[in-house]
Amino acid sequence: MDDRRRNTGRQMLDEIEGDENTILIRRTLRSGQKFYYNGNVVVMGDVNPGAEVVATGNVIVMGQMRGMVHAGAEGDESATVMAFRLQPTQLRIANHITRPPDGEVADSSAPEIARIKNGVVTIENYPART
Amino acid sequence: MGEVIVVTSGKGGVGKTTTTANLGTGLAQLGYKVALVDADIGLRNLDVVLGLENRIVYDITDVTGGHCRLRQALIKDKRYEGLFLLPAAQTKDKTAVSPDQMKVLCGDLSQEFDYVIIDCPAGIEQGFRNAIAGADKAIVVTTPEVSAVRDADRIIGLLEAAELREPKLIINRVRQKMVAAGDMMNIDDIIDILAIDLLGVVPEDEMVIITTNRGEAVIQDDRSRSGMAFRNIVRRITGEQVPLLNLEEGGLFSKIRRFIGLK
Repeated sequence: MDDRRRNTGRQMLDEIEGDENTILIRRTLRSGQKFYYNGNVVVMGDVNPGAEVVATGNVIVMGQMRGMVHAGAEGDESATVMAFRLQPTQLRIANHITRPPDGEVADSSAPEIARIKNGVVTIENYPART
Repeated sequence: MGEVIVVTSGKGGVGKTTTTANLGTGLAQLGYKVALVDADIGLRNLDVVLGLENRIVYDITDVTGGHCRLRQALIKDKRYEGLFLLPAAQTKDKTAVSPDQMKVLCGDLSQEFDYVIIDCPAGIEQGFRNAIAGADKAIVVTTPEVSAVRDADRIIGLLEAAELREPKLIINRVRQKMVAAGDMMNIDDIIDILAIDLLGVVPEDEMVIITTNRGEAVIQDDRSRSGMAFRNIVRRITGEQVPLLNLEEGGLFSKIRRFIGLK
């Protein structure tokens, strides 16, 4: 019993990253506005087409992500991009650059997360439906 | 103290000048004292749209440069007592006026007029910065095109950075048939991206071209749909609550048809 609790505690500590910077943007980023941050970025609003968010860590958008987003900008392949509606014009993680297929409107109706899996940028529902 | 409103868009050709002329005319029709300021120095055309080109003696750079008094440069409209135009210079460029000079100018105008409406040039450079310098409020004009909406978004960002909060939106040149067929961006999509208050929607209308070429404003035409849309926008500016125009073709007739159940 004691052992199990200690294990859970250690596991939690692994999942909580405490030594990184995170910044909160409490507005919508509009076309032409670029935001760079050394750490994680949380946007409480939309990121409109023509706007850019670049972070060395993760990017979370509590709204619609329609602009350009770059997570793990200094090469962190474990960085993720999360948004309530993930419809970026371009999505970059570390040195992977992706875009929606031509002629297809990135249609998203649920929160999604983008991350690198087996060397490929993968977009999945978040939280994952089973 | 009057209100100083800048009409801006970022992109050219979406109807800033037409909107400025119509809002000015509409407010003057309601009996307000209105000054229109053409801030598009070097490419002036608000005077042409209003049919006042041949009356220009002094322009905005003469006022800011101290070559004449403000009163001397203001041109009275042909039709409306309370409507005045401060024309732009045609032979100079945007650097002929500074933002500080515009602030002083707008302050002076707002002492005498109920509404001061500034026609902003296209672009985001000095002409834009001059035009917004003295404004208290902003109206962003866009059309249902991705490029115009993108520029409007950029402009809204710049207005917010300049502390011009809560700009209002006019969507101009909407073709309802194309929207209905899914060939044109619809109003909801535009508002979803821009996320600002809608002041009005103006349908595409040939009457705008006809009246503009005559040096008149379409708002004077009682029958045109775009004139009706502009009249509603004017009433909203004065603080009235006016419902949005139904843009669907057919208007009353189709309503009656639906009512008696033929459709």
